[in-house]
Amino acid sequence: MRVPLSWLREIVDVDLSPEALAERLTLLGMEVKGIIRWGEDWRNVVVGELLSVERHPGADRLSLTRVNVGDGEPLDIVCGATNIAAGQLVPVALPGAVLPGDRRIERTEKMGVVSNGMLCSGDELGLTADADGILILAADTPIGRPLVELYGDTVLDVDVKPNRSDALSIVGLAREVAAVTGATLRLTPTDVVEAGRPTSERLRVEVEAPDLCPRFVGRWVSGVKIGPSPDRIQMRLLAAGQRPISNVVDASNYVMVELGKPIHTFDAAAVHDGRIIVRRARPGERFETLDHVVRELDAETLVIADPDGPIGIAGVMGGATSEIGEGTTDVVVESAIFDPTSIRRTAFRYALRSEASLRFEKGQEFRLARLGADRTAHLITEWAGGEVAPGAVDTNPDEPAPGHVAFRPARINRLLGTDLSADAQRTLLARVGVDTAPAAPGTRVRIAAGSDPVEIDARETEVVDATVPTWRRDLEVEADIAEEVIRVHGYDLVPPTTPHTPEPAYRHDPLEVRALVRETLAGAGLSEAVTSALVAPRLVERFPALDEGELAGEPEQRAAGRSIVVTNPLSSQHSVLRQGLIGSLLEVVGTNLRHGRDDIAIFEVGKGYGAPGDPPTHEWWRLGLVLTGAAQPAAWDRPPRAYDLDDAKGVLELLCRRLGFAAPIYEPITDDANLHPGRAARVVAGGSLVGRLGELHPEAIAALDLRAERIYVAEVALAGLAGGSPSEHRVTAPSRIPSVERDLAIIVPLDTPASEIEATIRRHGGPLLRDVALFDIYRGQPLADGDKSLAYRMTLRDDERTLTDPELDAVVATVVEGLTVELGARFRT
Amino acid sequence: MDLADLTRDLEALRDEALASMAAAVDVPALEALELDVLGKKGRLTTILRGIGALPADDRPRVGAIANAVRGAIDSALAARGIDLRGSALTDRLAAERLDVTTPGRPIRRGSLHPSIESMERIAEIFGQFGFVVHESPEIEDDLTNFQLLNIPPDHPARDLWDTLYVDVEGRLLRTHTSPGQIRVMQTVKPPIRALLPGRCFRYEAIDASHASEFFQVEGLMVDEGTTLGDLKGLLDQFAKAMYGADKKTRFRPGYYPFTEPSVAFDVECLVCGGSGCAACGRTGWMTILGAGMVHPVVLRNGGLDPERYQGFAFGMGPERIKMLKHGITDLRLFLENDLRFLEQFR
Repeated sequence: MRVPLSWLREIVDVDLSPEALAERLTLLGMEVKGIIRWGEDWRNVVVGELLSVERHPGADRLSLTRVNVGDGEPLDIVCGATNIAAGQLVPVALPGAVLPGDRRIERTEKMGVVSNGMLCSGDELGLTADADGILILAADTPIGRPLVELYGDTVLDVDVKPNRSDALSIVGLAREVAAVTGATLRLTPTDVVEAGRPTSERLRVEVEAPDLCPRFVGRWVSGVKIGPSPDRIQMRLLAAGQRPISNVVDASNYVMVELGKPIHTFDAAAVHDGRIIVRRARPGERFETLDHVVRELDAETLVIADPDGPIGIAGVMGGATSEIGEGTTDVVVESAIFDPTSIRRTAFRYALRSEASLRFEKGQEFRLARLGADRTAHLITEWAGGEVAPGAVDTNPDEPAPGHVAFRPARINRLLGTDLSADAQRTLLARVGVDTAPAAPGTRVRIAAGSDPVEIDARETEVVDATVPTWRRDLEVEADIAEEVIRVHGYDLVPPTTPHTPEPAYRHDPLEVRALVRETLAGAGLSEAVTSALVAPRLVERFPALDEGELAGEPEQRAAGRSIVVTNPLSSQHSVLRQGLIGSLLEVVGTNLRHGRDDIAIFEVGKGYGAPGDPPTHEWWRLGLVLTGAAQPAAWDRPPRAYDLDDAKGVLELLCRRLGFAAPIYEPITDDANLHPGRAARVVAGGSLVGRLGELHPEAIAALDLRAERIYVAEVALAGLAGGSPSEHRVTAPSRIPSVERDLAIIVPLDTPASEIEATIRRHGGPLLRDVALFDIYRGQPLADGDKSLAYRMTLRDDERTLTDPELDAVVATVVEGLTVELGARFRT
Repeated sequence: MDLADLTRDLEALRDEALASMAAAVDVPALEALELDVLGKKGRLTTILRGIGALPADDRPRVGAIANAVRGAIDSALAARGIDLRGSALTDRLAAERLDVTTPGRPIRRGSLHPSIESMERIAEIFGQFGFVVHESPEIEDDLTNFQLLNIPPDHPARDLWDTLYVDVEGRLLRTHTSPGQIRVMQTVKPPIRALLPGRCFRYEAIDASHASEFFQVEGLMVDEGTTLGDLKGLLDQFAKAMYGADKKTRFRPGYYPFTEPSVAFDVECLVCGGSGCAACGRTGWMTILGAGMVHPVVLRNGGLDPERYQGFAFGMGPERIKMLKHGITDLRLFLENDLRFLEQFR
């Protein structure tokens, strides 16, 4: 809500500086988001008189003007607008002027003619939205005066919260100012001089849908002359963010800003038979709104109609046929109360939300219907002449009595942590127009309103009855009164305390495993990414949910369900909930590659989403990681080392050690279209980690337009990621007996998996075999083409005594035998 | 050979050995000399073989002389050895000199994302006040995201949360972490001190200060005597922990349908220190969170007796907290994952 101070001061005295006022209002809950110096931008802009307007000798589209700016010689100024003529008064930006947007005006040469400044449009001054022509000022504007002195103002930009519809008005904010300063309001006049045939003989209003229109007040003004509003009014409306249109329309907008009451005016000639019918639209009924769009209405829409059909969508937009125009002589003023929900839905349905609909949907003070009609009629006759027909049509003149809210001063102190006496609380409430009195015995205190209210029998304690001003629709329950009390008293006066109530029982921190994973991976050189959960459909198609099986005890971490689509996406690039992390991480890789970054190691701990049906939606946690480029950058003493699949495995193995999981086991997979068929594996570490890893398929690299040779990816489910604890593991004392190492170089066919060799060694190694480690892989001469040699180091130990050579030889012999028999292995010596 | 000859030979050997030692250029030469003079087949041994030919009376005298010669040679060898070895080490150290001003070998350390780091830091601070972390789903139903929070369908306050809806009946992407309040109250009995971090979604055009996906941390404290004063005291402590003990804070009215009274909480502008600048809209203050006393309707919807229990809730954006802390001016950086940005959070 934009509040020009000149307007506010008309209703309440303000002695404070704009800054001080802004701070006081902010501390009262009317947050001032900004203070706009209306006109501050117009430096060196003055009022000029056009002495002559001639065609530019060198350009058809330009005019050459001579302008009187008060003192000194008239200025020659080149202008491109077509709406100018000699004798008009216009804003002139002199050389050296600075316009809004830091636009500097200098003496320039245009097509061979020197231009000593610029004639300004309303748009260039930020004064109107009109960029098509030069702003023509009123004929009585003093020539040579700086524009800021004539039209400057200070405007507060107030963020009025949705519960305070009453404060979406100058009067409402003036009340808040009065609450701060104790000043008295001066309400603006609503009296009208009535003459001619009474309204009742001219206008009939039938409300067929009283549920949606509880009150309709109509007034009739005849004999108006349509024209522009007075300058000062136009500028004031502009400062408040309203575009001036004509004196009659401006009057209705003025009342909306001033009182917060949206008003509609009809050309009375277009209201057939002088009959207005407020009804639901007929399904399929067509109607052309003010913006010249023909709309098909539905039965939910409330319309203002005459016997021939709709002339307006109630509270939302008027009709083209009944629009006030130059030929309008008689005006029907509509000031109605509509059902807020109906207006909100209608405005959304036709995408026609406006300042008016916004106020309707927040609810209107019932009393304003009549007040707004009278004030509008008053202003119309002041600005457009004419006379007001005696009397008004009012479909529901019975104004409801003010509401009451009972409250317990002691309960309010208990809530706030304050120690304000009942009298002090009552005094504070009086400042915002809330009258109070001791409540009648037996008064119940409402602590929750709505469809299922809660009321408390409060005989034990002092209860005060508050009479709520009719404009305050937000005060319903005791807690609302508590906020009023402390708001007026000042939040800064709430004593800050340290909570002294009991602490809750211990609860395991669900972030623990995620934090461990993140810290471990960062330590291993990977950077954490956080990507959008909403992705493009093609990304979900390429990277669908991967169900890798179950984590022990966490069946709910399985991926499940179809992908979920956003029905009102911001863009197609973010329209589907992802089912895995790899696709998103590869997009991050792409972004960074484009920035010239070749070495990338990133991970994300995030969710996949699906709709299994039962339950309707499902979310699961995953760790995703991507490696590409150099694992170790080049240095002066060594070449770079590129990431490979073993790095990805190494990261997962590190994680398993850190989290106390078993060492992971890899199993080749060939069925993942995104992965290199010879370089992909399913990975399982007991029931604690399941997932897959691999090198990205060259086709996937091409399809995703990633400019990298090789990219390694992994996505796994991890025990505890969703909120569990890391696994505990046993720690053993180191043996006092030294271990002995024996090496075996094993020749097997190329397609024998290392995992099988290791498993075979372990199976045959017996209790003395403590560890097996692969330390060399060899292919080539003198081996046959289809062979490879893998060298393993076996660690052997008995914790009680030193092993003898024959014992060691026996273990090795058993292992060799097992490998020979089961895998057909041969041995290098 | 007689006593005099032997004595003369021994002394000659001594003199020659001492001279050779002095001339030895390095440790190997010295060692060769030692072997030549004192070795099993060395010259001293050779000379002493002549002792057998001497009369028994002369033998002890020659023995004494031989010992003196050996002692002289030994100590000279040792001394010369120390000299030579010392200079060898000096030479080696000199030869091994490095340019110690070259940079070290880089050890790659990754980075932790500022949004998550910020959430963890917030959780850590509130953890000191006894708050424990809970989590709730990101795909919510309208009931929990809005209605139970005192935001009925078609309520104008819904404008505060532009919502993304999904193709699952009645579901939406949670617009805030506040539905977690309901879920906590429905599962945990007071005393409640809960912290709810997580991802949220809004139908919001993306610019420097708006994102359609962002994180939030919700706090909820409910018990019989939890007051607005407690909220104020706690938030003040939080701001000091996060931004520094010297930072001033401001507590002022705000609006949320699910709190009454509602609060907006400001910290003095971290850029200008409160004097007013472009970053704080010339107010001297930066809003870091919204809060308030849990609305009685919300307490009731959470299954608690609103007459017996009362409490407060607060919600903040970890990105915003981080932006203010580090002087980051564009929220979009948090989801772009440009490593040049991320790697500054090591």
